[in-house]
Amino acid sequence: MSIIKVENATKIYHIGESETRALNGVSLQVDAGEFTALVGPSGSGKTTLLQLMGCLDKPTSGMVMVNGNNVSQFNANQRAEIRQEKIGFIFQFFALVPVLSAYENVELPLLLNNLSLSYRKERVAYLLESVGLTNRMNHRPDQMSGGEQQRVAIARALASEPIVVLADEPTANLDTANGQQAMDIMQKLNQETGTAFVFATHDPRVMAYANRLIKMRDGRILDNGNGAG
Amino acid sequence: MAFKTFWIMGYRDLVRNRRRTILTLVAITLGLTLSIFMSGLIGGVMESSLRDSIRLTTGHIQLRAESYEEIKVSLLRRDLLDEPDALAVQAEMLPEVQVASPILWASGVLGTIRESTAIRINGIDPASSLHDPLRESLAAGEFLTNDGRREIMIGQLLAREMDLEVGDRVFLAVGNPDGAPEEGVFTIVGLVNSGFPGLDNTNVFLNLSQAQNITHVGNRASTVRILLHQLDDTAAATSALEIPGVAVLGWQELHEVLLTALETGQIFYDFLYAIIFLVVAVIIANTLLMSVFERTREMGILAALGMKGRQIMTMFLLEAAILGLIGSVFGAILGSILVYYFSITGIYIGEGSASAVEGMAIGTSMFTALNPADILSLSLWMMIVILLVSLYPAWYAARMEPVEALHAL
Ligand SMILES: Nc1ncnc2c1ncn2[C@@H]1O[C@H](COP(=O)(O)OP(=O)(O)OP(=O)(O)O)[C@@H](O)[C@H]1O
Ligand SMILES: [Mg+2]
Repeated sequence: MSIIKVENATKIYHIGESETRALNGVSLQVDAGEFTALVGPSGSGKTTLLQLMGCLDKPTSGMVMVNGNNVSQFNANQRAEIRQEKIGFIFQFFALVPVLSAYENVELPLLLNNLSLSYRKERVAYLLESVGLTNRMNHRPDQMSGGEQQRVAIARALASEPIVVLADEPTANLDTANGQQAMDIMQKLNQETGTAFVFATHDPRVMAYANRLIKMRDGRILDNGNGAG
Repeated sequence: MAFKTFWIMGYRDLVRNRRRTILTLVAITLGLTLSIFMSGLIGGVMESSLRDSIRLTTGHIQLRAESYEEIKVSLLRRDLLDEPDALAVQAEMLPEVQVASPILWASGVLGTIRESTAIRINGIDPASSLHDPLRESLAAGEFLTNDGRREIMIGQLLAREMDLEVGDRVFLAVGNPDGAPEEGVFTIVGLVNSGFPGLDNTNVFLNLSQAQNITHVGNRASTVRILLHQLDDTAAATSALEIPGVAVLGWQELHEVLLTALETGQIFYDFLYAIIFLVVAVIIANTLLMSVFERTREMGILAALGMKGRQIMTMFLLEAAILGLIGSVFGAILGSILVYYFSITGIYIGEGSASAVEGMAIGTSMFTALNPADILSLSLWMMIVILLVSLYPAWYAARMEPVEALHAL
């Protein structure tokens, strides 16, 4: 079952006179529960594609469907809503809110969804435990290591039970051990919760985790991977 | 979305940038303190000048003949009160009235061998406590008596201009309703320094009966001047004093010129407040804009999590509200303390500055007046201004594209 469908999407960036075709007619389908790596040389359009799939941006032309909605037509508020309900993000830099503790960072998406205090408590406790950070609950980001911060970010991405987590080079700023730990956790959560993951990466060890490999170059998809059919 | 989280984020961000927050708070606090102090000072000076003017020059209420016009200083029978003493007695029977006493005004010429000048004659009853304030402002010599000698008191400024001293003899020429001018010789018994230049350089004071004599008006008087126990009783006393054929004037009407001048001044003071508020507003806007720029990345994260522009805006407005509230509370407290302190001790401004302002009696000290309503309204205005200028940074943050904000990653 496809949860994200991209059809013939292009994305053109204009800087002054020059224009960059970041995506040049991309078509792609992401199915529920898949664990997919998005690979390709620098500038090939991985980040841009993740941003379109994550409703952070709109395609210049073409169509993006998320959970059956044609989000290419959505306005800013509607896109915010679908991000809040259906999509989790993990970024290369650990992207936590600096003034909030680990607990509060993970709680944030739940608050945005107006969930009850008791549910939030239980959910945050479960997520922090899944990423092995129960004992770091009250730490602020600047009191945690990079690996710990990224694990908090993983927990936060999964907080409101999204259908897909989009991760842009989640291990690029981690050492090998921490990168592997983060990938192990993502894989475990993928298997336990059935949430789909799509992660852009340059790292062959990270690609090895994937059961589907999408290859990109020059704003096009070279190989659709096809891992999940 | 839980408001509490915005609150926590705003509050923690303020704590995180401790120095900037404190400097901004200081700006708000000082701005408001300064405004409140200014307002207390202006209010105090206005209040005391009005109070002194009532005590010294007009009283709270005056009874006059309906046709009397102050600038004409008419001595015509129809323009004067026929039974001023009876009216004064009647007025004094009211519980609100402290004292009432008739006064006769006439214009005349005060002369010496060397020079002469136009003055206004005030015929007063020296025994009446109505003139206690005048008695207190005696700068040299004695107050008028009732013992029949031809005595005159003149303003000290007038005496200085005409080179006169206590004990000197002067001529007084008055027109009278019969046509022929009357002249008399009077001895200066006292010099008056009230602090009102208008009073001190153009007025002379005579015994009422002598003034009536010299002007040939019999028992009549221009006005019955009334002092009340309390200013607030004016309306009640005015309506209690409805007498046919007699105009009853309250202090507001008697001070129309002064009140208009004060009102005009208010525009100028409002302008000063506006400048102070504007400076504070710029500082606030700067603080918040810096906060927005520094947190661009954070905005991107929050947007990615699904926070909407409106919520991001609320978050920044809340931060501004926290700053504004704390600063305003400090400012209101500090301002009130200052105003209260100087309402008791006064601010010494020296002998030289006294009576420097035309038409206002200003003593050697200025006293502030604590007016809670003014303090509240200034504090509220400060809050409103802060929230208004915060709209721009907040809107700027809300309008940011998530992708661009994340680009700061
Ligand atoms: N905001 C932007 N404005 C202009 N050009 C952009 C913008 N974002 C990306 N591009 C351009 O679009 C192309 C694709 O960029 P993108 O970031 O998607 O590549 P990527 O595959 O993620 O690269 P990397 O592996 O280095 O992260 C690049 O040529 C890039 O310069
Ligand atoms: Mg990229």
